[in-house]
Amino acid sequence: MNILIIEDEQALQESITQYLGKQGYVCEVAANFREGIQKINDADYECIIADIGLPYGSGLDIVKELKQIRSDAGIIIISAKDSLEDKLNGLGLGADDYLTKPFHLSELSARVNALLRRKHFGGNTSIIFQDIQVIPASKTVLVHQKPVELTAKEYQLLVYFIANQHRVITKSALAAHLWGDEYDMAGSYDFIYSHIKNLRRKLMDAGAPDYIKTVYGTGYRFE
Amino acid sequence: MPVRRIISRRCMVRVTGSNSMKLLTKNTIWFLLIMLPLLAAGGIYLYQEFDKELKKEMDEELVNDKIQWEIYFESIPDNSPIFGITTPEFSIRAANGPANAQPVLQTIMQYQEVEHKKVPYRQLEQVISIRDKFYLLTIRKSLIEKDDLIKNIALVMALAFIGLLLFTILVNRLISRSIWQPFYQSLDKMEKLQLEQMHDLSFPDTTVTEFNRLNEVLLNATSRIYHDFVIMKELTEDAAHEMQTPLAIAQNRLELLLQDEALQPAQLQSIAQTHEALQRLSHLNHSLLFMAKIGNKQFVPAGKISIRAVLEKHLRLFEELIRDKELLVSTDISNDLLLLLHPLLADTLISNLLGNAIKYNYPKGQITIQLNEQLFSICNTSEYPPIPATQLFQRFKKNASNLANSNGLGLAIVKKIADTNNLKIYYLHKDHEHHFILRQHRPHH
Repeated sequence: MNILIIEDEQALQESITQYLGKQGYVCEVAANFREGIQKINDADYECIIADIGLPYGSGLDIVKELKQIRSDAGIIIISAKDSLEDKLNGLGLGADDYLTKPFHLSELSARVNALLRRKHFGGNTSIIFQDIQVIPASKTVLVHQKPVELTAKEYQLLVYFIANQHRVITKSALAAHLWGDEYDMAGSYDFIYSHIKNLRRKLMDAGAPDYIKTVYGTGYRFE
Repeated sequence: MPVRRIISRRCMVRVTGSNSMKLLTKNTIWFLLIMLPLLAAGGIYLYQEFDKELKKEMDEELVNDKIQWEIYFESIPDNSPIFGITTPEFSIRAANGPANAQPVLQTIMQYQEVEHKKVPYRQLEQVISIRDKFYLLTIRKSLIEKDDLIKNIALVMALAFIGLLLFTILVNRLISRSIWQPFYQSLDKMEKLQLEQMHDLSFPDTTVTEFNRLNEVLLNATSRIYHDFVIMKELTEDAAHEMQTPLAIAQNRLELLLQDEALQPAQLQSIAQTHEALQRLSHLNHSLLFMAKIGNKQFVPAGKISIRAVLEKHLRLFEELIRDKELLVSTDISNDLLLLLHPLLADTLISNLLGNAIKYNYPKGQITIQLNEQLFSICNTSEYPPIPATQLFQRFKKNASNLANSNGLGLAIVKKIADTNNLKIYYLHKDHEHHFILRQHRPHH
């Protein structure tokens, strides 16, 4: 899976490359608009992550260029501006997803994962992790071929965990993923704990080992 | 800025609360205070002059009569019965000499049959000599008609004076009003002025130099304020934007660092805490930026929003939170409330109010929501004390400092949305319950 990251902030570029690299993706980077355009014309990528504010051009123009060369790469736009206009512009031009800085790397990874699945397998593939099988099309989960009843939030959690397997995921990343911007309202992360507890119990009841490891004071790791 | 606006309101209230009055009223009162004594003094002086003049006139008549009589007395014999006549108006009788050189003129009171009372008379008395005989001659003239005359004149004069006074006041008021008209127009404009509209403030030219000067000064002051405001606004926005990238770098670096398997639990925990703090910082930044955008009117409503739909969406969204806290939510929706709002602002409004009602509630507490075509009200039980009116809706004023996850901006955002969208938000605390009521703003005037 080839991913092109077009981002002028080197530190950010490195973090993304490093994190996605560990998740098994092959990452290429471009530091500005020209370099980005050159790379998308030189090679095929499954997914392109582009910052809007780039030297010599805008990430939105990258989207235009990709559409012009009829690339079927998935496009994720990153912006420092949380502007609805930018978002609608990006999506209107044909970007598949939009993330506002700052974002969680685990969130980016989950988005990339979902996007690639949607783009390249038409969503018809199932996600397999050891003895767990997730079928995104019907949102069903099987453990040892037997269905497990999960709530919507528990299902979202499981998919997020699998996309970020072997990584430490912070509680705030989980909360942001499950509730979006609204989670600021929640007051504490206690409610996440109960969802995780339920998910863990249901998976173990179905015969799976305890994959959800608590990292003390930090978050969780799925492995 | 809302804070500045509140301060200026307060000053205005204090000014009008003291013994101030309208310019026109003050003008009229001063005019009356000066004109009334002046007119009264003038009236009295005129009356006295008139009275004196009339007496002089009468005295001349009396002296004239006396001369006529003396000429007549010379022509009649000494034994004529004339020298013995006594009437109220005329009498002559023999007297001892010597003769007076000048007649004695005085005002006396004498009984008059017709009037049945004593009335004033002007009297001339003189001892005269006719052919070496001495007589006391007394001639009197009633003053009663003259008095009536003076009274009538005084009355006419008083009426004329009062009429003149009223007319002057009226004219004065009319002139003042028209002269001060541009001043009142400027005042009205300044009173209704909002910070965001300061750039297109203008005053029509007046014919009064001072008013033109005032308008110019006001224009300069407001454009300076607006200029500062724009700079501040841009600075805030730019700073907020520029902060997002370094925040993203730091946050992502920490997230990567968390993946390091060699780290001890204590190190992991402090990285997680730092990550958390950065998270809060970025949320704070985000909220401030959002407020700035609302203030800039960047969210233009496209049409009426059904608050009922927004509410139902958020009740679903917060379902787990409500269930986790075992809150009892009762809704009384009699009708939909339609508001002219940008969808994002409608979401934020309801989400912040409902979120607060959940966040500041205690387990097994209650939330009561009322919705009709007039208002949206939300009320929640809480252990937190009432929010002091001075801190309500203010940025960073937390009523509960122990809530680590609150950035104290939720209500400030609600207030900002209300202020910029012709809505009113009210707060009251009753029986340990916090009530927030949202309704459409109807202008008072």
